Amino acid sequence: MLSLLSSLTAMPAVPTSEVLHPANLSWAGFILWMPLVSLVLCGLCAACKVKSKAPATITVICLGTSFLLTLVLWNGYTQPETILLFDWLQIHWDGGSFVANFALYVDSLTLLWMLFVTGLGTLIAVYASEYMEHDVGKGYTRFFAGVSVFLFAMTCLVMGDNLLMLYLGWEGVGFASYWLIGYFYQKPSAVAAAKKAFIVNRIGDVGLALAIYLIWSTFGTVQYDEITTVLQSEAYDASFGGWTVHAIPYLLMLAAFGKSAQLPLYVWLPDAMEGPTPVSALIHAATMVTAGVYLIIRTYPLFMLDDYALPTVAWVGGLTALLAATIAMAQYDIKRIMAYSTISQLGYMFLGLGVVTSYGAAYHVFTHAFFKAVLFLTCGAIMHGFAGQLDLRRLSGLRKMKGWKIVSYTMLVGCLCLAGFPFTSGYFSKDAILAEAFVTQGPGFEVLGWLAIFTAGLTAYYTFRVWFRVCAGPVHFEPGDELHGEDTSSFHPHAPRFAINFVLIVIALGALLAALPYFVPNETENLHGGWVAEMVHDSPARDGVPGVIVDGGQAEAHGTINYEIGHGDILGIDPHKAMYYISAIVGFIGIGFALFFHLYCRSAADKLRGKLLASRATRWLPTAMEHKWYVDEIYIATIRSPLWILGKIFSLFDRYFIDGALVNGIAGLPRVLARWFAPLHNGAIQSYAISMIGGAVLITLLMLFMPEIVEFLQSLSEQNASTEQVVATLGGGK
Amino acid sequence: MSLWLLLLLPLVGAVCVFLANASIAKWISLGVSTLVFVLSVLMAVQYGEWGSAGTGFASHVAWLSQLGITLDLGVDSVAMLLVLLTTLLTPLCVWGSFTAITSRRKEYYAWLLILETAMLGVFSAQDLILFYVSFELTLVPMFFLIAIYGGKNRAHASVKFFIYTFTGSLFTLAGFVYVAWQFQLSQHGVWSFAIHDLSQFASAMTASEQGWVLLALLAGFAVKIPVFPVHTWLPLAHTEAPTAGSVILAGVLLKLGTFGVYRFVLPMVPEAVVAYAPAIAILAIIGILYAALICWVQDDVKKLVAYSSVSHLGFCVLGLIALNPIGLEGAVLYMINHGLSTGALFFLIGMMYERYHTRDMNSIGGLAKKMPVWSFFMVFFVLASVGLPGLNGFVSEFMCLLGTFIASGSAPTWPGVLGPEYAAIAAIGMVLAAMYLLIMVGKVVFGKLKEPDIEGQHTNLPHDVSPREIGILVPLAALCIWIGVQPTVLTDAMRGSVEDVLAPYPLIVQEQLDKPETVIIIEKEDTHG
Repeated sequence: MLSLLSSLTAMPAVPTSEVLHPANLSWAGFILWMPLVSLVLCGLCAACKVKSKAPATITVICLGTSFLLTLVLWNGYTQPETILLFDWLQIHWDGGSFVANFALYVDSLTLLWMLFVTGLGTLIAVYASEYMEHDVGKGYTRFFAGVSVFLFAMTCLVMGDNLLMLYLGWEGVGFASYWLIGYFYQKPSAVAAAKKAFIVNRIGDVGLALAIYLIWSTFGTVQYDEITTVLQSEAYDASFGGWTVHAIPYLLMLAAFGKSAQLPLYVWLPDAMEGPTPVSALIHAATMVTAGVYLIIRTYPLFMLDDYALPTVAWVGGLTALLAATIAMAQYDIKRIMAYSTISQLGYMFLGLGVVTSYGAAYHVFTHAFFKAVLFLTCGAIMHGFAGQLDLRRLSGLRKMKGWKIVSYTMLVGCLCLAGFPFTSGYFSKDAILAEAFVTQGPGFEVLGWLAIFTAGLTAYYTFRVWFRVCAGPVHFEPGDELHGEDTSSFHPHAPRFAINFVLIVIALGALLAALPYFVPNETENLHGGWVAEMVHDSPARDGVPGVIVDGGQAEAHGTINYEIGHGDILGIDPHKAMYYISAIVGFIGIGFALFFHLYCRSAADKLRGKLLASRATRWLPTAMEHKWYVDEIYIATIRSPLWILGKIFSLFDRYFIDGALVNGIAGLPRVLARWFAPLHNGAIQSYAISMIGGAVLITLLMLFMPEIVEFLQSLSEQNASTEQVVATLGGGK
Repeated sequence: MSLWLLLLLPLVGAVCVFLANASIAKWISLGVSTLVFVLSVLMAVQYGEWGSAGTGFASHVAWLSQLGITLDLGVDSVAMLLVLLTTLLTPLCVWGSFTAITSRRKEYYAWLLILETAMLGVFSAQDLILFYVSFELTLVPMFFLIAIYGGKNRAHASVKFFIYTFTGSLFTLAGFVYVAWQFQLSQHGVWSFAIHDLSQFASAMTASEQGWVLLALLAGFAVKIPVFPVHTWLPLAHTEAPTAGSVILAGVLLKLGTFGVYRFVLPMVPEAVVAYAPAIAILAIIGILYAALICWVQDDVKKLVAYSSVSHLGFCVLGLIALNPIGLEGAVLYMINHGLSTGALFFLIGMMYERYHTRDMNSIGGLAKKMPVWSFFMVFFVLASVGLPGLNGFVSEFMCLLGTFIASGSAPTWPGVLGPEYAAIAAIGMVLAAMYLLIMVGKVVFGKLKEPDIEGQHTNLPHDVSPREIGILVPLAALCIWIGVQPTVLTDAMRGSVEDVLAPYPLIVQEQLDKPETVIIIEKEDTHG
């Protein structure tokens, strides 16, 4: 506790690890402490029953400070640094130690993530100050406390210098997510969704915990920089660690797939939309769900240790992208469409990681954070204004309505980026991934590349399906069911006011400007890909940055996989160039379909659906897509229900067999005997007395006959020993 | 002498409570137990053996010298920590009973104080017989607490609790007496029951003798912990016990079993432990998963938390028999953490029960609306119990599993007989724990407000928790956070004792690993015998 206090007052704590930290960086700890300060202050507000917008102000100021500090840190960044805050878990023993300090590791990758985490966190807190105003005095404080917890945990996750700090943040963000999804705690569906999110994530967390055990027992450390040192040391060769190094990437993958909602653990994310929309934008679109991508980038060298680790990531990512996109096409709730689109885009990021472009993945994380945040926030503004209405069949022509222009056009910006419209940020980041799928040689990567291009077309279609339905076309709306006392006939939409509009514009600008880093000239030789490439290049994931030549000889000597990079092509053309045209064309086709079915001839969409449903052969397609391929139902039938039934069986088994037959049966024996001797004895105190006396008698007997018993036991053990010897010789003889 | 003071003060207090007026009985017992707590904290500050292997506050009092039985007291660092846990929980239990106990108050508080003496006796005994007497003495007050102040089915529960655990510990006594007898034979008729002497002597016995002693000792301790399949007394006792009884039961009495393993089984019969560890580990893992699944289908909140103890203590047992410092330190930490968080959960359930007279999750729900502060604490302690990093439960669970994970034969400094496969299967328990506890929270705390009909049973308690009740929960919550943030203080404190207990193990494990065929046969023979 003392060291905690000392670090809070920015005094240098006693450095016990060998990593020295320059005293001038210890203020960086405040990036992490500010959200905690906000949490404590919100807690005080709750204790004092504050009924104003004070919690929002506090949170915005604290998070804003974090963001400014991150900017300063980034501005002065020269090389990776470790900043010790205090000693957390240090277990020493004769011959070893387990050290996981509460320390920060700042490299360019950390900074890349922290910039958009704290930046978007602050903006979304501003947005929420208006969005949540219905709840001032009720859940307002609780909401902002949750946002603070989330940012604290996310900061731990991203800035921690070891895997245990990451685990702290990992579970912390899961808990914050639980807290905020379940914000409307009286709504059973929200409670169920919160629970589901936490439990499904826990499955991934177990993978992470086991991975940490394995990493520690293999490398003797959980600190990133020390793991890298071991990997680069002389002691490391192809046989290092045996089976463990092959298991580590798969366990880490399990964790990443849980947090980032990939197959087979993605089912929690669509349900997580039960939370207030700012939460969906911040946690379930922009920041938390990218933690899995961060984890894999952070531990990229470990994924190079197994031949099939990265291809598995690529395939899971590619298939998730496709599956989620097909579901998104058939949903009517615009927030759910965005949720599936998030899963799909996260799939792209994993595809990028798998085809060895950590740069593409990181860049897509960065651009996606902005454009998906703006999409969610516009959905939130619509939901807020139309009393909870999210059905795209019941909303139309918003851009022509008074006060909804900003919402409509910022949403257009988001849609263009998501659809990969030429020269938007999403266009560049997605292309980096798609092209790399053709460049890198790997099992079925080319097939994956074509699948991803097809998915890009679907993405463009479902994205503009939303925009053409909701924002374009004739003006028409029906309010949702959260009317707050108004009745349906006299309903007027509440157009968003300053805070919401301001944030929408800022983030939409951010989404557009996120294309600029691509054009920043690279300082490092041979490197291309702009600013993000520069940031990733300085991290452990540098192998996945274009222009970095993986040293084949060294890789072989170290037993890592030497991916053949730069030999692929697409239809005989350099993929990087071809992809600009291919993805643009595919995007236009998708948008064209949406334009036809959802703006010019809306009835055609219904007709098409009707035709598909009418025919026996094709009926399954729309039905299954609308029912999300029945994945939830399959999980319930194959996992949840059997386990629950097993629990019931165990419960009965415990009661009637173990306790009933065995325990009471044995306990009944004395009673049967006692019936012969003392038929009158019955009831609590008497039984107690009997057993006391019985015990005493037993002890006396033991004492009296001890020599005989001992002799008997000795003879037994001698017998045993002789049998042992015989059997041992026999066993040895074999 | 100060350990004696600690032991006798509650007894004196109990006498005073008996003599005093019923209306001030609670204040006397609160005063006495708080005084004991303050004393124990002062002792902890003075304690000179933190981090080393020694025994502090040793005092020698002769008793039956011809049989070598003494009243020697003394605590090593692990015992000192458990003494602190006991002295902390007792005043909180007394304070927590202020409104719940309305009849036969004098007896109630007297029994609680006697129980404290017995528990402290177990942790500080340096003599086998003294240990055994204290160990059994804990049963008597608990028996009356359940039998008089318990729920509807209290008679059955109390008798079952008593007879079950008593029968188990008779075997333990038999094991002790056998070792002492052997010692006497080797010493030409000079008896001793000093734990130190007997441990040293027993660890030199032959492997099969050790196997028998191990079985005898475990018969008592495993019931107490409780290990699957001898756990069925626990849910019943917990469900029927009054709140304070449940808290003490979960917080301290279960730890008597794990403490017994630490204090007697590990030092006395190392060879047998190494041979039996896989079997014990398998039982522990079955317990973790089996009890977790049972928790899932419970309707009674208290029964759910009771079964969760069976599941949680499985991790503790795994840590104990991982036979490396990280596992054993994790296990000791687990004892403390489980005492804090599960104790608090029982307090919370008690508060709910006092207001609604039900614990049935089908008839109660959505209490966050009515009792926000209570709900906050409920969620907090559930998270501590689930093992959220930053809180106490995480550290110990992580250490126990890590200890199990690295306890394979190939580990360089501390070879063990478990390994990654044990930890991996046990880790499923982490998912299940989140599942049943969050489902419970989802029903009781969240959702639509659902209150049972409590006509004619109006209590004069406020809707939400009173300042007194907050006063009980806050220290526990603060400790949960402190241990979660600074666990190193505790692990460093117990390091010496833990390593001392484990010192002989690497060699023995290595020996057994070198001749694997024989190990397997010994196991088979012993289980048949």
